[in-house]
Formats: sequence, C-alpha cells, structure tokens
Amino acid sequence: MQSIRPGRRRTKLEQGYWGFILIMPWLIGFLIFKAYPFLSSLYYSFTDWNLFKGGSWIGIQNYVTAFTTAKNLKALRVTFIYAFMTVPLKLAFALFIAYILNFKIRGVGLFRTAYYIPSILGGSMAIAVLWRAMFKNDGVVNRILTILGLDNVNFLADKTWALFIICLLRVWQFGSPMVLFLAALKGVPEELYEAASIDGATSGRQFVKITLPLISPVIFYNLVTQLVQAFQEFNGPYIITQGGPRNATTLISLIVYNSAFSEYNVGMSSAMAWIMFVIVMIFTAISFSTQKKWVYYSDERGDK
Amino acid sequence: MKKLIAVVLCLVLALSCTAVAVAEELSISWWGGDSRHEATQNAVAAFEAAEGVTVKTHYAAWSGWEETMSGSFVAGNAEDVDMVNWNWLFSFVDENGESYFMDLNEMADTIDLSQWSQAMLDACTVNGKLLALPNALTGRIFYWNKTTFDQAGVELPTTYAALLEAGKTFQEKLGDDYYPLALGAYDKMILMVYMLESKYGKAWVVDGALNYTVEEIAEGIQLIQDLEDNHVIPTAQTLAGDGADSLDKNDKWITGKYAGVWEWDTSASKCQNALAEGQEFVVGEELTDLGEFKGGFTKVAHAFAISRNTQNAELAAKLINFMNNEDEGIRARKSEYGIPASAKGLALCKEEGLINPTVAEANGKILAWCSFPLDPKFEDGALKNTDGVYQEVFEGLSYKDYSVEEAAQVLYDGVTAVLAK
Repeated sequence: MQSIRPGRRRTKLEQGYWGFILIMPWLIGFLIFKAYPFLSSLYYSFTDWNLFKGGSWIGIQNYVTAFTTAKNLKALRVTFIYAFMTVPLKLAFALFIAYILNFKIRGVGLFRTAYYIPSILGGSMAIAVLWRAMFKNDGVVNRILTILGLDNVNFLADKTWALFIICLLRVWQFGSPMVLFLAALKGVPEELYEAASIDGATSGRQFVKITLPLISPVIFYNLVTQLVQAFQEFNGPYIITQGGPRNATTLISLIVYNSAFSEYNVGMSSAMAWIMFVIVMIFTAISFSTQKKWVYYSDERGDK
Repeated sequence: MKKLIAVVLCLVLALSCTAVAVAEELSISWWGGDSRHEATQNAVAAFEAAEGVTVKTHYAAWSGWEETMSGSFVAGNAEDVDMVNWNWLFSFVDENGESYFMDLNEMADTIDLSQWSQAMLDACTVNGKLLALPNALTGRIFYWNKTTFDQAGVELPTTYAALLEAGKTFQEKLGDDYYPLALGAYDKMILMVYMLESKYGKAWVVDGALNYTVEEIAEGIQLIQDLEDNHVIPTAQTLAGDGADSLDKNDKWITGKYAGVWEWDTSASKCQNALAEGQEFVVGEELTDLGEFKGGFTKVAHAFAISRNTQNAELAAKLINFMNNEDEGIRARKSEYGIPASAKGLALCKEEGLINPTVAEANGKILAWCSFPLDPKFEDGALKNTDGVYQEVFEGLSYKDYSVEEAAQVLYDGVTAVLAK
C-alpha cells in the first residue's frame, strides 16, 4: 500500500500561473486574430497604405478626408438613420411577439420556433438574394400591391424605400432578442400582476408599470448588442442594392470594404473602420452611463 | 478499446499524410459563367488524367471576384494558375515594384510562346517581364434579339439615328416595358468613348493623360442621355428595380423585353444562352453615322498567369500550355474564353468547328473595326466598380442629380484624379 504524502499547498502565484496556462489558447487566439489586426488597423489609418504597395505615415489626413468627403459624410448619415430606424423597430417587434408568445396558447412551441427561424437564416447571402427578388419591380410584394389595387413601388430604385427594405431585412431577424425577451417575461412574478389587477390596473398599465421595469435589464442588453450589430451591417446593402441607389444604402461598412478591396486604399478603409468603432463605443458608453436611470436590477438596494 | 481507437486514428492520419505527399497538387482559379466553368473543369480533368496530378479549382462569377483575388494575392495564398484581368498586370504590384505574377519568359521551355503574336505578348509584358498569356482579344459590340425587333417591325439598327427611331417605335408598338437596348453604367461609359472616338478620331487617354475636354465629354454624355430620353435604353431606376446582378440574369433580357446589349464578344455566349426559347440572337453592326473614324478599342480579354508564390511553377506552366496549345485542352475550352489567342488553339478550333459562330462573327467585326488602344487605368476599380466614378456619373445623370455639363465635369475630374494616382 502506498503511503500518502502530504501535498504541498500551492502558492497564490502558482495558482495564477495555472490559470494563465489554462486561458493561454484563448489568449494566443485573441492576440493574433483580434489584438494584432485591431492595432495594426489603427496604425494603417494614419498611413496612405495601399493593399499592394504599402504606404507611409500621413498623420490624420485620412480622418480629415473622411469628414470632408461628401460620399463619406453621406455614408455616416445613412448609417445613423439605418441604426436608429432598425434597432427600435426590431426591439419593439421582438417584444411585441414575445409578449404574445408568453400567453398560454395552443401550439406556442411551434410559433416560437417559427419566429426564431429568420434569425438563423437572416444573415445568409441566399436570404439577401431572396429579399431582392421579393422587392423587385415584378416581385411578390408588388404583385400583392397590385392585387390590393395599389400602385406599384420601385423599392430597389427609390432612395427612401431602398433603405427601408434593408432595415426591414434586419427587423425581420428579430428571433434572438425575442427569445431573450421571452425568458425575461417568464421571470416576472405572477403575484405582481395579480396584485395590480386587484388594485384595478388595466393590462396596458400593468405592462408599463410592471413588465417594462422588470425586463429593463434585458431591454438594455438587447439595445447594446443590436446597436453594435446595426452599425456593422454589411450583407444586406452589399447584396440587395450594392449601396445604391445614389448611395442611399451605402453604410460605413460598405465604404470600409470598397476602399480596401476596390480602391486598394487600406489606410482610408482603416480610418473609416475606426470612426465606426468610436461611434459604437460612444453609443455603448451612453447606454451604460444612463442605465442607472432606467434599468432596474432586482439585486440592487435602493437605499444606498 | 481506447488503444484500438488510438491506433486506428494514427493510421488514418499517417495514410492521409502519405496521400498528400504522393499526389502532386496544383491549383487554378478563374471567373465566368456556367458554360465557361464546365469547359474549364473538362480541361482540368483532361490535364489531371494526362499528368497524373490533382488540380484544385476555385471559380465563381465576375461579381466580387476582383476583391477576392486581390486579397488572395496580398495574403500570398492565390492559386498557382490564375485567370487575370488585363489591368491587374499593372495594378497588382508590391511596394518594391515587383509583380505578384511570375515572369513567364522563364517558362519558355515549357510553354510554347511562339503560338502568341508578338503584339499580344507585348500587351502582357510589363517592365520587360511577360506576366500572363492572353486567352483572347476582345472588344464591345451590339447584340440584338432579332425576334423582338421583328415584333416591333424595326430593322436592326446600323446608325445612331436608326437606334433613336427604334426606341420610339418599340414604345408605340410593344409598350413601355420594351427597349431596343439596355446599358449599365460601365456599358454607357464604353459606348460613350466609342462614340467620341468615332467623331474625334483620338484615343480616350494618351500617355497617361485624358485626351478629351469637358466640352467634348459633354457631347458624348448628351448622346447617351438622348438614348434614355428617346426610350432606347431604360433609366437607371428601371434597371435597379429589375433586381438583377447583370443583364444576362435580367428577366427582361431573358424574355426579350430588352432587345439589345453592348457586350464583350467573349461574354456573348452567356447572353445568348440566357435567352428564353424561340428568341433569335444576332450580332449587330457598328454604327456608321457617328463620325468619320472607326471608334472603339480592343484589349486582352483576360489571361492566365502564374502566382509568384507557386511551389510548382513547372507544373503550372504545363497546365497553361495544355489549355492553350495542346489538343485536349483546346478541345475542352473551345471558344468559352473567346476566340483563342493561341495560333494553335485557333487553328484546331476552326478545323474541328469548335468555335461558337456568334462569337466568331462578333470577334471578326470588332477586330476589323476597332482601332484605338486602351489605357489600363480605364478599368481601375475607383472608376469601374459599383461605387466608382462611372456609376456616379451615369446614375447621377439618370436620376437627374446632374445636368449633362455637370456630369461631364464629374467624369473629367474623376478620371483625371485616377490617372494622376
């Protein structure tokens, strides 16, 4: 029988060392695939880097160009419109459907799955192509308008409508926020509704006074993630409208792509990518800094 | 049991390593339509059988291809043999001025360079290095859907005036959806240069400088605008609303509502094959009332090059030679890359009737007519791509964002800026 030797206690330093070893695979991946491209793009944004020929330091010239070129300014404006049209619509729609699916209705599991499917399909090229086919002049949407006796709309060529259908593609993919809302709605205690009903609160008042405050952490989470996603949108405008008509759907992401791979101007492309990053950072910071005012966390004490 | 699984896994790994070591591997990339994909796959399969090697293929449509390949060359993982656009030979150059393609003069023992004319070799020679071997020479020409013209009771146009008349007749007899011709922004640009060269007898760009004044360009743009105003071509809005990537995929071309295209002769078959049954596709004539000169340019349609990073240049050169100069390769590719530039390829295709007669007719007309050279920067991405200057000018004109004079100024400034880069 082997004797049991008393094990040496691990020092705090050794414990940290083992933790470091264990996260090493992630860390290496992060440094190579995230940190290095991230920092090198920051460097490129201050150069006139050509995809093939390299480049040299030009200071803030790319940023000056970004904010003085009409095309880039328009792309900034369109990206803002896109994000501020898409995110509220998507969150409202996701919450609306989640609210309905929270009722005990027959076949609710089937509906939940069906409504989630667009989120799985939505990002693919095939859906973007399908979207274009639906909204073209003789597509299914215009055929329905004809049946209803309404005038046809040239969705893909009209500057306003084109942006709207790009937004609609993203709104249609409301499955992920919907599932989160659904989980949050399930977490709202029944007793609160019962108590409110006894006090004579209408269901609308209950929704505003009980449901919304209690699911506000999930609203906050969805808001931040959807904002980040919206500012990075690429597939929809790239496939459906190629940024047209008249740059009405040219988002910053398209400028980033076209600058780098059509015009080989990696410096300008990196500058635009960093502008996009800063914008997303600002909105995320605003969301976080204002959350004290409107997000309710049940584990926080109100009397501190 | 665990030991057994481990042994099996090791054996599988060892076998796959052996397989990799044994089979010599090559890769090739190209772009095109379905018929070209099939022809190239057949040629590659014949090469694999003849040489006992494996060739990996990478191919797609043109849309987005340039962006994909530029990234591949910079990253150093482009295929060994690559189909290249002519202007890539001038733009795919690294910071040391070195091309991303290898000098094929070094492969003269493997590739029979004598099959190409000196002029064609010169067109692909940059700084004394032969960077690619042309598949074909190409130019633009009209193709008409004769069936629709017959329905409208209109003769196929041979003059600009007749084209304008055809627009009105189409609208009156067939309806608002019918147009004698459809042009995208880049098509309009090439047609405008053709018209200007026909009138003024000078090339678009000479010695790296734009050879036309703003006023002259405005005349050309006016001719394009008149086509739109006279219902000869659909507006940019109508084309966008059609929701098609390219004209050959547009329902209105397929069903004959758009009855003409202005296309490269090397791309004729994709337009022809797209037509619905019962539509007659014919090669048009040059327009004769534009001026006293024969406008239009010819260029190397596309070419095959070898990546400078290839590990197997000898085999890559063999594949290029096989497709261009050996019977099996020539038979497989037929005229899917245009009328073969290789003399042997052309002779065999003619002898065995492998050339699509439409492609042959179009190529013959273009080579007999077009007399002007093309500057490589004409196809620069900043000008030609979907967010480029040509799109800005002609879409802006169609959307009435620019007057003809303003559009001419935007085009002049845009082209001048790119030429100065």
